[in-house]
Parts: sequence; C-alpha cells; structure tokens
Amino acid sequence: MSYRLLTWTGILFVAIALSAAGQTPKAKKSAMPHTPWGDPDLQGVWNDATSTPLQRPSDVGAKDILTDDEAAEFQAELAHNLSRDRRDGGADADVNRAYNEHWMDARRLKITADHRTALIVDPPDGRIPPLTPLSPERQKAAAARAASNARFNAGLPDRYQDMSLPVRCIIRTDSPPYLPTIYNNDFHIFQSPGFVVIAPEMIHSARVIPVDGRPHPGKNLHQWLGDSRGRWEGNTLVVETTNFRTDDGVIFQNADPETFRITERFTRTGADTLNYEFTVEDPKTWTKPWTARIPWSKVDPGEQMYEYACHEDNYDMVHFLSGAREREKKEAAK
Amino acid sequence: MKPILWAALVLPAVLAVRPASAHHAFAAEFDSKKPVKLRGTVTKMEWINPHAWIHIDVKKPDGATVDEWMIEAGSPNTLLRRGLTKDSLKIGTEILVEGYQSKDGSLRANGRDVTLPDGQTLFLGSSNPDAPGGDKTNPDKPRP
Repeated sequence: MSYRLLTWTGILFVAIALSAAGQTPKAKKSAMPHTPWGDPDLQGVWNDATSTPLQRPSDVGAKDILTDDEAAEFQAELAHNLSRDRRDGGADADVNRAYNEHWMDARRLKITADHRTALIVDPPDGRIPPLTPLSPERQKAAAARAASNARFNAGLPDRYQDMSLPVRCIIRTDSPPYLPTIYNNDFHIFQSPGFVVIAPEMIHSARVIPVDGRPHPGKNLHQWLGDSRGRWEGNTLVVETTNFRTDDGVIFQNADPETFRITERFTRTGADTLNYEFTVEDPKTWTKPWTARIPWSKVDPGEQMYEYACHEDNYDMVHFLSGAREREKKEAAK
Repeated sequence: MKPILWAALVLPAVLAVRPASAHHAFAAEFDSKKPVKLRGTVTKMEWINPHAWIHIDVKKPDGATVDEWMIEAGSPNTLLRRGLTKDSLKIGTEILVEGYQSKDGSLRANGRDVTLPDGQTLFLGSSNPDAPGGDKTNPDKPRP
C-alpha cells in the first residue's frame, strides 16, 4: 500500500467521521417533520377545541392537574354546563341555544388530555393576574363600549361602531391569542421559505408571519391582526406581535395598543399534536404578564376548511340600522 | 362538586373567552313564542359556513300545495364531524324539524332538533361526547 493510498484512506475516514459528527444534530432534528428547506414543519389543519376553561374555577382549589377520576367528573360538569341539549330555562333560553348539541363542535366538551384545570399555566394559580387600575381616559372608553353594547343588545344601534368587529365580519377568532370557541376551531398553517401563514376558520384572514429576521415596521403602522414577526427556536416557532389597531375590540381584553404585546409559541409534539402557548403582557392592563397553553390536534383527513360566509359591508349593517330607526319611529308614535 | 356553584363559576369563565355567539343574536332572529314542528322533504342543502341551510317543502293542510321552509343549522365542519355528509340529506329525504320560526314571520326556522326518516335523530341526548345516543327517551333528565 502506497503512502498516497494510505493518505487518501485517512482523509476518507476523517471525512466520514466529520460528516457523521455533523449529522448528529440533524438526526435529532429530524425526529419531527421538516420542510424541504429545513424549517420545522407545522403545516396542516389543526383544531384547538377544549372545554378546559381559560381560568381555574375557584372550587378546584390549587389543584392544577387532576387524577383520572377527578378529570372525568370535571369534564362531565363542564360538558353539562356547556351543553345545548338542556331544556331548562324555558323557550327564551332554548331559542338562544339555537341548535342542539349535534350542531356544535363535539371536541369542545372534552378537557385537555393532560387533565389540567385551566389553560393558564402562569401564574401558577391559573388565574388572570389582577388588573392595573384604568386611567380616567380608558375608564371613559370602557363606559362608551358598554353603552354601545347596550344599544346593540336593545336592537337600537346608533352607528355602525355599535356593532362589534365579529358582527361587522372584520375579525373574530382570527385575532391572536387563539382561544377555543363553540365551533370553527380550525387553523390552517402553510409555510414557504421565510414565511409562515396561519388561516383561521373564522373569519377569513391570512396572517402572514415573516420568519426571515426582518424587523418590525415603524410604530405608526397599525393593523387588525397586529404586526407579527417570527423566528425558530429549535423546533418552536416563536411569534411576537405588536402594532394592533386602536379600534375597540381589536386587542384581546381591550388592552392598551401602545403597550400590548403577545408572544406565541407553536411546538409540534407529534405527528398529529402541537402545543400552542401564548404570553400576553401590558403593564397598563395586567399587573404582570401571563401565559396559557392550549393543545392543538390535526383534524381528520376527511375534514376540510370551509370558506366563512361573512363579509364586511354586508346587508346586515343596513338592516340593523334601518331596523333601529323604525323601532324608534314606532316608539315615538305610541 | 355542586352543579349550581359550577354553573356560576365555570360558565362565565368560559363565556368570557370569546363573545361566542356575538355574530348571531338568535333571540333577535328567532321567536321563542313561535315554536314549530315541521315534516317536509329536503329540496336543497346549502353547506354555508358558519350556518348551513336545509330547504324543505312542507305540505299545506290542503295536501296539494307546499310551503317552502329554510331551516338553519350549524357549521359545515361540525356537521361533518358528527357524521352528517352530503349524502345524509339527499333531495327527497323526509325529515322532521323542531325549532323556532323567525321573528319576521318568514318561512325560516332554526333547526333545534332534526329527525331523519330512519328515526335517527340529530339529537344526542347526552352531554358526554364519548357516548352518542345517550338517553334519547328522556332528554330532560338531569345529567351528572
């Protein structure tokens, strides 16, 4: 064997060893699916329905995780309270329940698989932290909102702003943070190099999240869904969102648009499971930041996303307002 | 655990999450004083999100002419998840609908309960998602 051959063999061995070493982290990474360009793959249609309440009910005390028996009882109680098959409360309550349980997302009657008593994981008591006292200005805004709602509920809206954003078909459950609701709890995630897009079933926005490291735009650009910037931390997609519009109801729990910030973490935990975690902070609204975690699961292959038949400027606005004026006329003629 | 206490504590917490039915004020649209029970044949099914519509022809008392009713239902994904497919309500299927008529007197109602010709009712009678078809004979029975 010549020295040359030995040298080449040596180089080859070193090269194999190096490439093997180089693959170690990659091999770990590939435990979860990745896109062809190497990002963790979160794509598909996911559902976040659960009956586990956002805040821990007072009568479970400090218990954060339930035993199997306790969990069964907890789930049954929640399902009973949420059920639309109940006939108590008379016809008025019944018509408000509208449809029986068959029409509602069955997944919303089950608690999370980990048997938690609340979606909130921080603070440890599972409750939203105490609120910061509202400034006189924001107190005034809250009172104006309450008056708007009262006019709407009485069937006497004065102006289009008396109709909330969901009623106006602008945003509904597509505004972060994503929380479970009575139906249409689906989220379709798409990815392309440098971007993640989330299309919730309600209403019809596509939330485009750059993950290419670009900075947030200037403070003056305000949007219905805020301005999101994402980055990958290992297998987790971390999304930070600010710059929400200042209209009533745009921001979760009407926090202050100047100081509100939400950080969301999407981590795939299996072929059909994903952990969605969000932290909201706004020193002008809550005394400290708080975090909730909601498990998402892939929908059955037979299910699909349906277009949401609701659009801004539909006839309802005309009907709401003209109906209110008619009522006023009738009332005045009495 | 005491049911009354639970209703007081849990429900507001859950409802506070989102204005669940904010988009659709059912009491504003349907009249609790106008309960209806309609037997008719399906003429059309519209899979519209979030509220599907079932069109049925209901025979008038003369037996010769029909009233065309529209029955509002839940969201398409929910219906599919429950096993209701586009083949479940084919044109010509006879169904029994119980619900409430719209306030303006038009021939529209919400589909509180819908029964299919084979007696299968779109009413589970159970709040337990794992036990479909619970106590159908006594839907008013208090649950655990």
